[in-house]
Amino acid sequence: MKLRRTRLYIPGNNPHLVENAGLYGADAVILDLEDSVPITQKFDARILVKYSLQNVNFGVSEKWVRINGIGTSYWKKDLEEILPYCDVINLPKVESLDDVDTADEEMSLIEDKNGIEPRKLVPIIETVRGLKNAREIATHPRVVALAWGGEDLTADLGIPRKKALILDYVRAEIVLAAKAEKKQALDTVFSDVRDMDALYQYAQRARYMGFDGIGVIHPNQIEVVHRAFRPTEEEIEEARKIIEAAKEAERREGKAVISLNGRMIDPPVVERARKILALAEVD
Amino acid sequence: MVEAGTHEKGDVFVSIEDGKREVIIKSKLERLYGEAIRDTVEELTRGIEAKIIVEDSGALDWVLRARLEAAIRKYRGEKI
Repeated sequence: MKLRRTRLYIPGNNPHLVENAGLYGADAVILDLEDSVPITQKFDARILVKYSLQNVNFGVSEKWVRINGIGTSYWKKDLEEILPYCDVINLPKVESLDDVDTADEEMSLIEDKNGIEPRKLVPIIETVRGLKNAREIATHPRVVALAWGGEDLTADLGIPRKKALILDYVRAEIVLAAKAEKKQALDTVFSDVRDMDALYQYAQRARYMGFDGIGVIHPNQIEVVHRAFRPTEEEIEEARKIIEAAKEAERREGKAVISLNGRMIDPPVVERARKILALAEVD
Repeated sequence: MVEAGTHEKGDVFVSIEDGKREVIIKSKLERLYGEAIRDTVEELTRGIEAKIIVEDSGALDWVLRARLEAAIRKYRGEKI
């Protein structure tokens, strides 16, 4: 599965920032056509993003574009312009499976017209209705991950974000909805770009909550988040032992359930150990 | 008159207004890149009878092309 520990948001109408976006090693770069672009610049941004996708070297980063939501009059033109050149469409304010179907239909038309492979979709859940329908939204085959947005969601709930007590529930629901469909779960951004210790704690907490990555808004955040998502030495050591024990047991007895130091090691434990080692080998 | 781009670093501002064809290039790096900028502008705006002003703030060629395309499409009546 593609690593998506970090996705770096870049305003789509800023050529200087776009040009350098691939230099920092984020797992994904999101060229934004939505909230960071004022209405008066939407037209220019769409075209700038199209050209950047064709001309800028984004290095190891997967190329995402956050288009405008399907409740606006811009999203179809966004897709028309940029879909052939990006890897993933990040769709804001998704509220239902119908919304995903609508986007999917339009994407399919453009893909057929251009003779290109289907692009991936990552919906952003940022309304109460979207949260309620997240489990259904995650079932769509084009969806590879679920992301969520705190500002709009707390605004929809009518509570101040910093005091919102519901956010851990929201996070758990996003993770469960995504993971039930074997999709990735992506946590929202950490907005204080100066406090790296707090960012590390935040990212590590996201990891232990079941998320596969978080959004980042500054290149300096990338390395910290990758470190937070790297399994600890203790976890790696334990995973190695589990894999060794599993191999040994299979070689000797062909057993699926084994024990290590008196603890039962069954297939899901072995699978988790494999994931930990795979994540540890990155970088 | 239509406009595209900004005066920010690494960008270019393009305006097109009705009138006799005229191409005006303003760039701090005119000595180095003036000719290349003019070539791109002439290539992409060929056949457009209008006054075209390009104010460069160190834009790369793909940025110039993007901003010119945006301005031309707006000049031809395309909306957001």
